[in-house]
Amino acid sequence: MKHSLIEIAFLAFTIGLYLLSLQLYRRWRHPFLTPILTAVTVIICFLIIFDFSYETYMTGAVWIDKLLGPAVVALAYPLYIHRGLLMKYTFPLLLSIVTGVCVGMFSGLFFAQMIGTSQDVILSLLPKSVTTPVAMEITRVSGGMPSIVVVFAMIAGIGGVITAPFLFKWFKIKSDMSRGLGLGAASHAIGTSKALEYGSQAVATSSVAMTISALVASIIIPIIASWV
Amino acid sequence: MIRMVSIVIIQVLVLYSMYLAGTWIQNALDLMIPGSIIGMVLLFCLLVTKILPLRWIQEGSRFLLTHLTLFFIPVTVGVIEFSHVFKGKGLLLIPAVLVSTILVMLISGILLDFFMSKRLKKGSNET
Repeated sequence: MKHSLIEIAFLAFTIGLYLLSLQLYRRWRHPFLTPILTAVTVIICFLIIFDFSYETYMTGAVWIDKLLGPAVVALAYPLYIHRGLLMKYTFPLLLSIVTGVCVGMFSGLFFAQMIGTSQDVILSLLPKSVTTPVAMEITRVSGGMPSIVVVFAMIAGIGGVITAPFLFKWFKIKSDMSRGLGLGAASHAIGTSKALEYGSQAVATSSVAMTISALVASIIIPIIASWV
Repeated sequence: MIRMVSIVIIQVLVLYSMYLAGTWIQNALDLMIPGSIIGMVLLFCLLVTKILPLRWIQEGSRFLLTHLTLFFIPVTVGVIEFSHVFKGKGLLLIPAVLVSTILVMLISGILLDFFMSKRLKKGSNET
């Protein structure tokens, strides 16, 4: 009885904190206020202060985790909505997206080897530009650490969104579609929400880029991972 | 309100069954692609071929995608068990990820810009 109480409490705590940090983000819209960052920081502090183990926390939170699979399946919905764009520009879009996935993967691999980190860190680094739920699924298959890939994906998301306006200006990336594609390919969902500032065409391209690169990455990365 | 909630719950269950089907295919064929991604491709095919009407999954998908962040909070909290990764030279991973992200954004963006400008030129020559 005591156990199930703790379970329900952690479940409610997580959902409540999420809703609260969502309100905070909606009010100020700052990339550092991304709900996941706020919520996770508060939960971690809580666990440390009150000396709860991650295992205890997970007994309740695991119910939220179960929705991750169907959420990835739901990514087919935006892809279906924007399928016209994909049909019209199949070749340029696919080529740019696949190149983006490869650049992200191999540059990550290169830097990790330069720094000289362990194998499971490298495996968790490969899918960092992919939308977080898919990145986690890929690391689960390839043998990395899902908790670590989330951190990398968050750095890629927030870092990309902050640097994007300067990059577009300095390197003269002018069309809304290219800007959207860059944001979606490098900074996944966080990038796609930034693409809103460049218009609906940018959002559509960005969400196509995000979904297709997730698909491409989930095929390529497990193969690369078996070579590393 | 109650009607809306039940629609969302039923549609999430439809999506969940697609996820289970994807995982089943993954195991049956011994694939390295995550089952959820297989489920996504499956759903996309069913939508394109009109076997599954969009309205059967629309509300459920919107709900899951709006609150996507919530679903990976539990796993992210697990970072407390792996804090050693970011100690010492592991800290260098952060700038490495940043540089790699910038490279992806630049190269994919410039590449599409190049294709589109070529296409535009071609288009204006034809007209």
